[in-house]
Amino acid sequence: MVVINIILYSLFAILVGLIFMGIGRKVSARMHLRYGPPFYQSILDIFKLMSRKSFTHNFVMDLGMVMALAGLLGTMLYVPIAGHSAFISNSNIIVIMYLMAIGSLGMAMAVTASGNPNATIGISRALTMMLGYEIPFFIIVLGLIISNNSSSISVIAASQAGSIWNWNIWHMPLGYIAMEITLQAMMGEKPFDAMIAPAEVASGPMVELSGKYLGLGLLTHAVSIFVETGLMVNFFFGGGSNPIDFVIKQLGIYLIAVIFDNIFPRYKIEQAVKFLWIFPTGIAVVQLLLLAF
Amino acid sequence: MQIINYADEERRQEDNRKLWDKVTAYFRSRSLWMLHYCTGCGAMELPPIMTSRWDIERFGIVPMATPRQADILLLTGYASTNTMKRIIRTYEQMPEPKWVIAFGSCTVNGGMYWDSYNTVNNVGEYIPIDITIAGCMPRPEAILDTMVKLMNMVKSGDAKAFQKYKDNYGYYKANQDKLFARTAPVLESASLKYVHNETEGSEQ
Amino acid sequence: MNITELLKDLNSRGLEAEKICDGEIKVIANKDNFITHLHYLQSINYEHLANINGVDYIDENEFEVVYQIYSYTDKIHIIFKVRIPREKPVIQSIVDLWEQAQFYEREVHEFYGIHFEGNKDLSPLFLEDWMDLPPLRKDFDTERFSEIVMGSMRNGGKK
Repeated sequence: MVVINIILYSLFAILVGLIFMGIGRKVSARMHLRYGPPFYQSILDIFKLMSRKSFTHNFVMDLGMVMALAGLLGTMLYVPIAGHSAFISNSNIIVIMYLMAIGSLGMAMAVTASGNPNATIGISRALTMMLGYEIPFFIIVLGLIISNNSSSISVIAASQAGSIWNWNIWHMPLGYIAMEITLQAMMGEKPFDAMIAPAEVASGPMVELSGKYLGLGLLTHAVSIFVETGLMVNFFFGGGSNPIDFVIKQLGIYLIAVIFDNIFPRYKIEQAVKFLWIFPTGIAVVQLLLLAF
Repeated sequence: MQIINYADEERRQEDNRKLWDKVTAYFRSRSLWMLHYCTGCGAMELPPIMTSRWDIERFGIVPMATPRQADILLLTGYASTNTMKRIIRTYEQMPEPKWVIAFGSCTVNGGMYWDSYNTVNNVGEYIPIDITIAGCMPRPEAILDTMVKLMNMVKSGDAKAFQKYKDNYGYYKANQDKLFARTAPVLESASLKYVHNETEGSEQ
Repeated sequence: MNITELLKDLNSRGLEAEKICDGEIKVIANKDNFITHLHYLQSINYEHLANINGVDYIDENEFEVVYQIYSYTDKIHIIFKVRIPREKPVIQSIVDLWEQAQFYEREVHEFYGIHFEGNKDLSPLFLEDWMDLPPLRKDFDTERFSEIVMGSMRNGGKK
């Protein structure tokens, strides 16, 4: 039963993530006054990539790509989707924060094994960015834990149930603003996309990935979108009463990120880290102090 | 060396591909990623087809940063001999299946640079080309039409130039060597070349 | 110094200077002492060497080396021409005056076969594995070269 659960949850997350990516492409196309690809374009891309010949450089590259996807799928299993989750845990925030790094680390292993200098530059930027966004993220999470006296996402989500006015976005608006900026960095969207900058480092970590490896990378990205927007819904938007409600809220959050992605230029990596350490961290600390006293 | 024409052969023996091949061909035709490697002036025609006027992304065609990720190699204009080396290297780095589109007269017969000492006349002699677009330069409509034609060719399994490259590698390699691996001067006039003699120069 | 003063000055130094249009003059110098003139021009604020070109005058059996010099203070562009014989195309290098001349001279050497005395590195810059006559010389037959190497055909192969 657990195995079937895990497979179903994984498929659900991948499908939702891919359709979100397609809708995101459509929305940004409309913002450019274009027609845009169909909303299922990402699924077509995945099938095409999986049916292509692909180059591998060594065993570590194979292992790293699988590890990245597995790490994020593992994280996803702890995120409650409208109260349901594959693994029931009393303190899943800690587990999630621990597991989320595995995705990036697996990617780092895979792409540095390819030996391409652009990939190495890209992934070192991605890990530096992680250093930048994890500090404000942890402070926000600390505030949530203090105010709810629990480190379980289900408890945090359940405490907001009932009315729209119970949502944490009204109780801790500063925390929401900090989280919104942090989320942009976590998803690698525009002001903070120095790691994949196609014009500078030729799409960074993905530079040497072909066929199936790129497909795995795309799936990893889809799952990371699902996890990050899912956390946001649980933390600030009441968690959703049923899965459809939950996914609609996730879509709203993802589209905000896409819109920001389309209207911002790109930070350099040191500027991005400096910005993340000053503004979101500062706002999150103020929120924490307001909650504590 | 004889070149096998796959398109004709295919038409003769009807569509006898397996179901799986048909399915993958459909997905491939709907998600062609092109390598934005721009030689010559045709690169100017690409921004209009990717932006709001002609928007090629609605067919799933997007530019990609590296040859590893790309399906289509676009040759957008004349190829000088130095560029040709890089084009071949790029082409060989792309994973299969891969397709090549050549833009403009220059890639077909040298165009207005046909008698230049450094412009390759027919790119098709060095790497296999699926579709060429005539014109100097082709309009974005022509490029869009070609893309749709390539999508149909991929779907029906006619676009098999990469297979041709593998089967006739000897022919292509001989042509490439003729261009790059020259060991002796081509023309007799090379003997007129002035060679400076250090000792003679310092006497003056 | 405005353009008429400059013309007078250059003519008095034994150079053939001539006005082409506003802010642009043509100077013809001798190959034996052109360096001293360039030195003088540099000392009166002509600090920018924009380019070095070669020209092949095959009928007069001469090469021409053209130095494009510009002054940011006077806003005058000088086209400084030096002729050298075709049989022995050797000219002094101006790397000591302008460092960027290193690359311009390398290019001219590659495409015309003109030797620059004093330039340490005249290795090929653009052409790879080139063994024929320098390609921009007029006696290099590009059409035949293209026919042999690339298989090009006049009028697309029709007579």
